[in-house]
Amino acid sequence: MRTGDSMCQRLRISGMFVITGLLIEALCLVWSRPIAFVVLVCVGGTLIGLGVLFFLYSLVTAPAHATDSSCAATDK
Amino acid sequence: MPTFAIVILVLFSAVLAGVVAVRPAITGSRAGKILAFGVLFFLPLFSLMAGMDNEMERSKSTAFCLSCHIMEPYGKSLHIDDPGYLAAAHYQNHRVPADEACYTCHTNYAMFGSLKAKLGGMRHLYVYYLKQQPLPQDIKLHEPFNNRECLHCHLGARSFEQGATHNADPATLPAIKGNTLSCISSGCHDVVHNVGRWGDKVKFWDGGS
Repeated sequence: MRTGDSMCQRLRISGMFVITGLLIEALCLVWSRPIAFVVLVCVGGTLIGLGVLFFLYSLVTAPAHATDSSCAATDK
Repeated sequence: MPTFAIVILVLFSAVLAGVVAVRPAITGSRAGKILAFGVLFFLPLFSLMAGMDNEMERSKSTAFCLSCHIMEPYGKSLHIDDPGYLAAAHYQNHRVPADEACYTCHTNYAMFGSLKAKLGGMRHLYVYYLKQQPLPQDIKLHEPFNNRECLHCHLGARSFEQGATHNADPATLPAIKGNTLSCISSGCHDVVHNVGRWGDKVKFWDGGS
């Protein structure tokens, strides 16, 4: 797998974690029950945290100039 | 920030994260990299903080506490038509904010008090959903009620500082302030909620919120 593919894949995975966490957070905000607080913190917070950490991990482990063109190529 | 605004922010963040997830190629440009950083780092964390803050504020409300079935008798005790009932007297006379009645007395007015109170609330949820629920009258405080919570409002108040009973013995007031003489368990203000011990003669006030 090329480094660009890998970076794109990581961005997608990170994005999926963040999106899922944010959607759970949105549901918890409109769900007025005490358990919503726990779900928001434990599930939503964990997923968002995982997404953010995975994104940061992708940045620090990505080779220099890895994404600029190859990611675009895989996306076409 | 109102709840609907936070929901819109959260959904907006999710849509932008979706754009990056579906089209990661946009991170090829400098603007795309900045967008990705904002969308996958800054916005999610900001949204999470805003959401948690909103939930923390909402969890202070009387309605939130009383939304658990097991707390119903405690909510009912706030409407007892008898000034001898401490919680009812405070609630009905707005000595505590009626919409944050439970939290005002049961939070911890020390450093990180709100956080400690909410962690205690997590334990309530654990018991409520995963353990056998106790009867309402069997619910006990995590730790003895600290006078600090009463003194948060009453300290310096004329009715407290110059009250006849509080000054009948010169040692009483310092003992109360030093938490060595409990306000509620020394036989002075010991009728608080008294759930399960109301008897037949107790009446309820139907006013208030």
